[in-house]
Amino acid sequence: MRMLLVEDNDELAETILDRLRSEGHSVDREANGDEANDLLRFSSFDIVLLDINLPGRSGYEVLRSMRSRGDATPVIVLTARSEIDDRVVGLDAGADDYMVKPFDFRELSARCRVLARRRAGASSNVFSAGSFRFDRAAKQAHVEGRQLDLRAREVQLLEIMLDNLGRMLTKEEVADKLYTFNETPSLNAVEQLVTRLRRKLEGAPLVIKTARGLGYMAYVSDDD
Amino acid sequence: MSATTTRARRGHSLQRRLLASMTAAFVLLLLLISVLLWNYSRAAANRTYDLLLAGAALSVLERISYTAAGPTVDLPQSAMDILALAADDRVVYRVFSPGYGDLTGTPDLPLPADARASVDPVFYDVRLDEPFRFIYQGRQITSSSGRDWVFVQIGQTQGARRAQLDTLFLYGMAGLGGVSLIGLVFVWLAIRSSLAPLGDIAHTLLARNPRDLSPIEGDPPQEIAALFRAINSFISQLGRSRALTESFIADVAHQTRTSLSALQGQLALAVDADEPERMRGRLGKAEKQAERTMHLTNQLLANAMVIHRSDEAQLEPLDLRRLVRDTLAELLRERRLRAVTISLEDEDLPGGTAPVRGDAISIREALRNLIDNAVRHGGPENTILIELDGTAEVVRLTVSDAGPGIPAADRLRATERFTSINSATAGSGLGLAIVRSVAEGHGARLDLGSADLGGLRARIVFPRLATLLLAGLLLSAAPRGAMADEITIWASTDQVAMAPLISAFAERHAGLDITYREFQTVDLHRAVLEAGAEDMPDLVISSAMDLQVDLVNRGLAHRLRIPEMIQPPGWAKWRSELFGFTFEPAAILYDRRAFSARELPTSHRDLSSFIRDHENDLRGKIGGYDLRRSGIGYLFATQDTIQSVQAQRLTEVLGRAHMRRYCCTADMAVATQRGELAMALNVIGSYALHLGKEFPDIGVHFLDDYNLVMSRTVFVPKGARNPQRAETFVIFLLSQEGQALIESGTALIPLEPVSEPHSPIAGLLASKSGSFLPIRLGPGLLTFLDEIKRREFLRSWDATMIDDYGP
Repeated sequence: MRMLLVEDNDELAETILDRLRSEGHSVDREANGDEANDLLRFSSFDIVLLDINLPGRSGYEVLRSMRSRGDATPVIVLTARSEIDDRVVGLDAGADDYMVKPFDFRELSARCRVLARRRAGASSNVFSAGSFRFDRAAKQAHVEGRQLDLRAREVQLLEIMLDNLGRMLTKEEVADKLYTFNETPSLNAVEQLVTRLRRKLEGAPLVIKTARGLGYMAYVSDDD
Repeated sequence: MSATTTRARRGHSLQRRLLASMTAAFVLLLLLISVLLWNYSRAAANRTYDLLLAGAALSVLERISYTAAGPTVDLPQSAMDILALAADDRVVYRVFSPGYGDLTGTPDLPLPADARASVDPVFYDVRLDEPFRFIYQGRQITSSSGRDWVFVQIGQTQGARRAQLDTLFLYGMAGLGGVSLIGLVFVWLAIRSSLAPLGDIAHTLLARNPRDLSPIEGDPPQEIAALFRAINSFISQLGRSRALTESFIADVAHQTRTSLSALQGQLALAVDADEPERMRGRLGKAEKQAERTMHLTNQLLANAMVIHRSDEAQLEPLDLRRLVRDTLAELLRERRLRAVTISLEDEDLPGGTAPVRGDAISIREALRNLIDNAVRHGGPENTILIELDGTAEVVRLTVSDAGPGIPAADRLRATERFTSINSATAGSGLGLAIVRSVAEGHGARLDLGSADLGGLRARIVFPRLATLLLAGLLLSAAPRGAMADEITIWASTDQVAMAPLISAFAERHAGLDITYREFQTVDLHRAVLEAGAEDMPDLVISSAMDLQVDLVNRGLAHRLRIPEMIQPPGWAKWRSELFGFTFEPAAILYDRRAFSARELPTSHRDLSSFIRDHENDLRGKIGGYDLRRSGIGYLFATQDTIQSVQAQRLTEVLGRAHMRRYCCTADMAVATQRGELAMALNVIGSYALHLGKEFPDIGVHFLDDYNLVMSRTVFVPKGARNPQRAETFVIFLLSQEGQALIESGTALIPLEPVSEPHSPIAGLLASKSGSFLPIRLGPGLLTFLDEIKRREFLRSWDATMIDDYGP
């Protein structure tokens, strides 16, 4: 993946660069907000890691001008403030995720992969993670080359979970996305559907986690 | 910077409190006295003004007589004049006899509760459209059938009484208030001197070095000895707390340095290691140590942040349910929580929400710490249950887990800083301390117990925020629909005279639409009485002062706020409701071809003689108002009978001279110019003085003894649709601008002709100034509106005017 790291602290930048490059990514680095902004204007990246406190313009400003240009590149904001404002992650500033320094490098890599997967899933028809493969066009899923026998509703649920990889969805949200206005969504039906899909996904690195009372979240266990 | 300002701002001043309680005592006392004083003042005011009612009733009773048709009454002017001593009060009356019904006055006036046939007056209060005070008194008269009772009832509004009462009461209260103030000054002085020792303590403390935490010394008075002890005990507590803080800082330093030393040690060993395997082992340990140091630092910062926010942050109303859900959804994305089974139970919340007053950032930090603790001590496959429930008063957030828990004996200690119960899984020792700080900052309680799952159960009990549904109450009072700016004027004055005034007013108020409708005076009076809510005009203007007074006396007029500067003279206003805006003397018109000015009579007495002496020449050549058709004529004629004993004689003389009757001044002027009339009496002087070139042969004459002056009056009726604009019109009429315009632009004369003092009219008026007798607005004008009085007056006038010599 092609990444851009915008971070003014040289030591931290160096360790992140080393880490990401060792995983096979191609990473550029900028230390100044203005320069990062100019670079983003003309080059495209798969993921941007963006510090907030920067010389030149702040990370928020860089992010805002990206979004106002219509640049939808996934952005992970790096911040040292633990009392992070909800709006940073929300639509206001337009970040896709954030991490509070000091952070675990494995966590950072995992978040990058989730973002990359989510993006790839939306732009191409094939989602693959380890031994798991899902073809959106054909509506077929394979684990280790073996095709899974999925019903239409299960395929729909799988799509919903893949679109929201790494995000918690409440049962109501899932029901809303699954059923049309005329069908009466039953929360019990959602529960049973998730149980069935999970059983069929056994052995695949794609896991659907249930948090009772909260909802469901899909993640790829290989990412660890 | 002084301590006093702080004390004053927080409102905890002893001095103020003492002073306030003394003031309260004084106020209570004043209230008691004021009740007594009020009752006394009311009795006194009633006594005074009841005398007026009694006098008026007596003078009416005296004029009751017996005729063939039954009892009748000739309402005396004195009765109304007595009542008019209470200048601004409205008057109602009724005379009736049980055998003959109502004789005159307003029918159906309320009787006193114990109405008996008696010659003794009964006074009583009745609320009609406003409070009235009534007198009820009877008299027996001898009739053909024996003796009949006749009763008179007179009611008067209580304006003058109220004013009298207010004056008596306010003077009394002012005196008492002054005495109370002097008393309070002494109280204040006493308080100051007895509170002086407190000031001394403040001085001592202020002068102190901040490091000096030794107890203060001194010999305080008995009353503040306890305070003295409390301050000293506080100082020693402060000392202990400072020692604690110092030890905390030492602890922090120790923890951080130890952690960093360990890290550095591991790294140094790694650098020195010869074999890659050993080096890798050392580095692994160093990384673990760095992680611990990081966690410690994070927790120290979180702890500091939470304490700081609980001091500074404004707590805001928030829904704890949403906050918990969002925080959990966020937390669950972390990889280390993937194996943990987490569930949330929030179905039992009353109303489905958990409103609390809180700081979202601190609460999130507390919840994160509770979950971190559960994972740290219970292993990565722990089961965590978060419950949110409550009652009408509280919201409970409970986090339970299936880990090892904390033994009951250690729970109290567990929330202290740098205390780890289990050294094997020890973290920073700050987690529960942070949770406790957050709870304290929210006025919440932290309980630790055993969970059903087997581990620790941590519960924070927040006070539930009473939900206020203000939305419905905040409906802003919608501004009234933009009403078209228009006023309707009903007037008896002819439009030609009023037109310049109306157009000048309309010019000043762009967009104002003025509707003008004209009536005869008597018709105008009736129209206003009969007007409904939809067609009530905004202004009523009439030259018939008595009829206007009658309307206002019926309570039909709005009170107006006219600036003091432009208030008309006393005779031309009544009750702040009715205002005169012109000065119009009655005059004699004469034909210059028939007489010269020098031949004309100079007084009313001479006038009678003059007409009698020239009876043959003047027969059929004298003009006067038809009293049945003209309100002005009736007003001037009745006022003449009050002013002059010659009035009856003059009427007789005029009857013999075959006076011709007219409706209006203009007709009389035309007849005089044509030579049909030699003279016309009681014409409206302002019109006569403004007669133009078409009337070269007409002279205007004033008498020397007296000349009646009437004024055109205006009021704003209740029910007017645009009373504010109507009020501005009245103000305009009375303003210097309006008065000047009356003088220069209309055929009317302003109240005080000052702007053109050298004009011929002003000169004429000035030369006779002593003889002008303005008719006073007030209840006095009601006498001749009395039905019997009016009937009798017109009957005798008809009888004198033997034949109909009308034109």
